Amino acid sequence: MNFADNCKEAILNGNIEAAEKLANKAIEDKIDVNIAIDAFSLAIRKAGDLFEEGEFFLPELMRSAEAMKAAMTIFKPVLMKGKEDRSLGKVVIGTIEGDIHDIGKTLVASMLSAEGFEVYDLGADVPISTFIDKAVEVEAQIICMSALLTTTMIGQKKLIDQLKEKKLRDKFKILIGGAPISKKWVEEIGADGSAENAVSAVKLARKVLGR
Amino acid sequence: MGSILIDQGLEPGTPPEKWNVSHPEKIQKIHLDYFNAGSDAVLTNTFGGSRMKLTAHKHGQSIEKYNQKAVDLAREICPENCFIAGDIGPSGAFLPPVGTASVSDFEENFLEQAGYLADADIDFFFIETMVDLKEAEAAVKAARSISKIPIFASITFQKTKRGYFTIMGDTVSNCVKNLEKAGANVIGANCTISSDEMIDLIPLISQETILPILAKPNAGKPQLENGKTVYLTEPKPFAQDIEQIIKNGARVVGGCCGSNPEFIKEIAKQVKGE
Repeated sequence: MNFADNCKEAILNGNIEAAEKLANKAIEDKIDVNIAIDAFSLAIRKAGDLFEEGEFFLPELMRSAEAMKAAMTIFKPVLMKGKEDRSLGKVVIGTIEGDIHDIGKTLVASMLSAEGFEVYDLGADVPISTFIDKAVEVEAQIICMSALLTTTMIGQKKLIDQLKEKKLRDKFKILIGGAPISKKWVEEIGADGSAENAVSAVKLARKVLGR
Repeated sequence: MGSILIDQGLEPGTPPEKWNVSHPEKIQKIHLDYFNAGSDAVLTNTFGGSRMKLTAHKHGQSIEKYNQKAVDLAREICPENCFIAGDIGPSGAFLPPVGTASVSDFEENFLEQAGYLADADIDFFFIETMVDLKEAEAAVKAARSISKIPIFASITFQKTKRGYFTIMGDTVSNCVKNLEKAGANVIGANCTISSDEMIDLIPLISQETILPILAKPNAGKPQLENGKTVYLTEPKPFAQDIEQIIKNGARVVGGCCGSNPEFIKEIAKQVKGE
């Protein structure tokens, strides 16, 4: 098997140790870091496809994302040394205040980070002001807000309204998620989009930033 | 229950179980509306009444009070020949690699809640909306370890391109077999899938067990319209789906998210000829 096949196997099996070994070996062998990362990226996208096909479920996808993160952690110092920036952008993510449902959001955060976004996961039950303060502080490009309950979905609108009041709306792309979210709701509150699942969320995040 | 509480002004962030103490008359009225609509059993307002769930809402200190009061409220208005089911929902936590909880966390969590419900004298346990078979098993085992009353165990499946699975990837067959082994007396499915999607799921359950089967689908998917939550399925077509679900083998039927006493009334009309 070649390097790319090995990467694929490590990521699809969610084998953190194997992913780390491969990343280290790529550095030792002086494989171009971008080529090495591309091989891993291809593998994590395959994991995403399997999830969308109903072959992978939450645990498998989560394991794959963890293995991917482990490899990326090893590549990071090399990228920094070469002053290369492969970060796709900064994302602030959390579940809105009053809502403690956290699993969908956590999966999206993991997949975004596996794909190469710099992710600031604020957790669940996050006040609107915390979202905004953090996004301003880290100069995020995207704010992702999750809400599982129809009662807490209103918080997504409130956040956007507050951004407008503070004249900050144009600084961020706003992506929203949660079981009851519809396209109509996205339009109604003026968000930049929503996705069916964690895999499409990553695609959407790339799309809204044009990457 | 949950959908109605939201309609009646339950604030985001407040655990519904708090209303057992702060708005007992509202909870009791909802139970009464269900009995009047034709329900044979109502579920106590304790879906999120376990320590892990209430602690996430910062109400962990009230767990005994909320569970006890919930059963008392239902008992006070329960007609003769009707039943009170002690409702137990998921902990909100997940096993690795998804989360950091352990099976023994689950067991401890459900042992405590099941204990309060049993002490308050429910007629049977209703363990529902479980998306992880391991958590469901832990809940059934915990309830069985402290009580001999019947246990209804209900899993939440998703319909994927390859059939019905939990989000953790548990198959229908595994769920049914393992819940039976854990000590459940009635096994079935609730939430997430709507009534029309649940029709084909029932035969898959009945292939695996001779135990009675329960089905409690959603009334469509929730939508927010002009600030109000609406579900797209109407009571009549819902009840027609339920009729088919019964034909396919279900013995216990009801409605999950988006349903209300109107749905039960339609079901009762069809099933009991009321």
